[in-house]
Amino acid sequence: MNVVIEGKQISKVYGSGDSVISALQLIDLTVMEGESVAIMGPSGSGKTTLLNILATIDSPTSGEVVIDGYNILNMNEEQLSSFRRDRLGFVFQDYNLLDTLTVKENIVLPLAIAKMNIGQLEQRASEVAVRFGIQSILDKYPYQISGGQKQRTAASRAIVTKPALLLADEPTGALDSKSATDFLESLKELNEQEGTTILMVTHDAYAASYCKRVIFIKDGSLFTELVKGSQSRRDMFKKVLDVLAVLGGGAIDAV
Amino acid sequence: MTLFDVAKKNIQGNFKNYLIYLLSMIFSVMIYYIFVSLQYSKAITEGLQSSESLRAVLSQASVILILFTAVFVWGSNAFFTRKRMKEVGLYALLGMRRQTIARMLFYENLIMSLAALIIGIFLGTLLSKLFTMILLKLLDNPVQAGFEIHIGAIGQVTFVFVVLILITSMQGYRLIYKFKLVELFQAERKGEHAPRISLLAAGLSVILIALGYWTAFKPISTTQGILVNFSIIFIGLGAGTYLLFRSLVIALLQLSSHHKKRYYRGINMIGTSHLLYRIRSNTVMLTTIALLSSLTLCAVSVGYSFFYTQKQSAEQEMPFSYTYAASENGLDAEARQLILSDAKHPVIAEIDLPAIATDADLTRFAYQPGNYEPNKVPVKLISASTYNRAASALGYKERLQPAGRDVVLVRPLYTTLSADEVQGNRISVTTGNERESLEVTGIAEERILPWGYPDMCIVISDSLFSQLNKSLKASTYKAFKVRGQETTKETATALIKLSGDGTGMATFYQQYRQNVENAGINVFTLGFLGLVFLAATGSIIYFNQLTKAEASKGSYGILRKIGVSRKDIRRSVAKQVLFVFGLPLIVGLVHSIMMLKALAGINLISGLFAVPILVSGGAYLLIYLAYYAFTVKTYDRTVSAQL
Repeated sequence: MNVVIEGKQISKVYGSGDSVISALQLIDLTVMEGESVAIMGPSGSGKTTLLNILATIDSPTSGEVVIDGYNILNMNEEQLSSFRRDRLGFVFQDYNLLDTLTVKENIVLPLAIAKMNIGQLEQRASEVAVRFGIQSILDKYPYQISGGQKQRTAASRAIVTKPALLLADEPTGALDSKSATDFLESLKELNEQEGTTILMVTHDAYAASYCKRVIFIKDGSLFTELVKGSQSRRDMFKKVLDVLAVLGGGAIDAV
Repeated sequence: MTLFDVAKKNIQGNFKNYLIYLLSMIFSVMIYYIFVSLQYSKAITEGLQSSESLRAVLSQASVILILFTAVFVWGSNAFFTRKRMKEVGLYALLGMRRQTIARMLFYENLIMSLAALIIGIFLGTLLSKLFTMILLKLLDNPVQAGFEIHIGAIGQVTFVFVVLILITSMQGYRLIYKFKLVELFQAERKGEHAPRISLLAAGLSVILIALGYWTAFKPISTTQGILVNFSIIFIGLGAGTYLLFRSLVIALLQLSSHHKKRYYRGINMIGTSHLLYRIRSNTVMLTTIALLSSLTLCAVSVGYSFFYTQKQSAEQEMPFSYTYAASENGLDAEARQLILSDAKHPVIAEIDLPAIATDADLTRFAYQPGNYEPNKVPVKLISASTYNRAASALGYKERLQPAGRDVVLVRPLYTTLSADEVQGNRISVTTGNERESLEVTGIAEERILPWGYPDMCIVISDSLFSQLNKSLKASTYKAFKVRGQETTKETATALIKLSGDGTGMATFYQQYRQNVENAGINVFTLGFLGLVFLAATGSIIYFNQLTKAEASKGSYGILRKIGVSRKDIRRSVAKQVLFVFGLPLIVGLVHSIMMLKALAGINLISGLFAVPILVSGGAYLLIYLAYYAFTVKTYDRTVSAQL
């Protein structure tokens, strides 16, 4: 099996001179193809910084990051843009859909940017729409649909390019529990049936329990990790809560 | 820390935000000061034949300028205040009273306005020398202008701007009192709907504009026709342009979004959908700018074309260098002596022009000059041989041979009479107690007598002339043509002095000078106002686009995250902004060419408006290009700041 993310000794320091704040310290992280990984930690633990670095929209102060075989630290701005376009998919807490485009247009946007031919583009669009059950709202605008539908649209957009890695930042943060469950089930199916590699950052133990592996970070360093293996989601959920209790800090009240 | 200190700190801290507002204020003050100081300039008033007319034109123009400036300052102030509403909300949330906030903003406005006033007047003083020199050059005067500081001008500018500042401050107060805190926490844009197209309105816009253009190309003969046609042109273009921006452009954009192959390529769909969503809120702005800029271009081109043809029109108005009525008292000889002794301007031709002055009944004629009873219009009768001699002396090709009772009318200046219209018309001329009925057979283009309203000069056969000369005594005009008549200032002045009140004396030079001055002042004033106006519309679009840029920061952030390169974003921004600048520019240019065509149709301007429209259109293009480049740069910087 291929390695999708290979992060070595990732450090990130903000500021300079006397007022240096260290956000990440020597993080090692490996994610294999077909895995689903959740990163958890209290507020300010550096998990969003880590996600931004893996998403290539921020760069580490030191260390090495190889994604899908490409060393992203050696790339220039132009190359990073096309790398994000071709190999990464994003889902954000606040959906990040474009208001002026219909659901369908939002979904095909990455393909349009990649200048895919129109036939193939239409076919991909209908494939992902079926997968996320949003065929009926393709011609609607984002303001006309519900939060859950918006997040499915965002996920459709994220996977329409068949990315090597799907990155999600608090994907269930703005959803009610029913929509969140539906959405997490969809992601799980995607992971199990299509083998899409997923990495999400979350506060939500429930969302994390859907992943095959949960990594905890605290104060910018790896704290511990849980592997689901053959146990049920319910057991995983309990274990995640146990670790969070030990971790303390802001994580508790978020659960 | 007093409120005043907070205001000062705010300005220092947000200097970059304030800069645009400050710059537009400085620009307004500067332009206005330059204009006002021209009225006070000694260099200009001294170099003019008629300085009162300059004063009048400049002071009328400065009223228009105040309006422009007011709109401009008002607009930029509104933009600026809106931009700061979040900050105001924050103060309110922290418990500051509205009155206190308003007072703080007032102090800020006051500090900035004073700075703008001082800097603007300073820059205006530096630049007013340049503009004085441009005006002198246009007036064909020696270009010498020193620095002048005019207390009166400073006072006037300060007064106007203090009033403006008070008004904008009140506007700020109003905005703050109207502001509801809850608005701060509501999403900025929710539920904007994609515009619907009305094919009917789109079609109507094409029809209306086509009607306006078609009318511009139709020949007009009657005064009533002029009124009707120009109403059609104005209404057609006005309503048509509004519908064009409201429906047709939207329809075309939607049509282009149906072309999936191009629409789904790169971020074309972002650009198209942004335009589609926003154009409706910009309809009024785009329509107003397109229409006003076409009027501005027209006005500037007309002014410029007068300037361009003023020598030609002086030659039409005064065909000879000097023309005066012969009289018995030795003045003739003295005048003649004066003309001949001017060695720098040798006489090319000297000719006597006998003419009979009488009345004519024009009731059945195609043209009746206004202000006269149609049955009693003063006319001048000239014999064919006199006309032909004068024509050959002036180097014209035209020769006339009216026979018997046929006559030819020399086309009155500023009319559009054609031979077809007058052929066969009869006019009857008063000869003592009788009336002589004559048939008009044609129109002569070239003029030989000095212009004087109603300018009816009728060429009759030699035999008829000598017959009429018995009952109506002809008077004689002495006419001279000299070389280099544009520079005959001394002789012309001396001749006018000689003739006493100057009534019997017509000189080319004086007419020419008057034309140069009128045209120079016109082209300067119109050009100046035009520039200011175009700059103002450019800024309005600039501010408008910046507001859009702020609103779409989020969208562009998303695009960057999903892998659109900066270059592609810049390209998309450039395309969208090009659309917003280009549309009114193109519509304005085409409209103005059509209107000029219509004006040329009624002979208000010569048909040769290619150079004027090229120059003014070129200036328009350049100003907009500069604004365009500036807007794209700021827009791009605003939306790329994300990530």
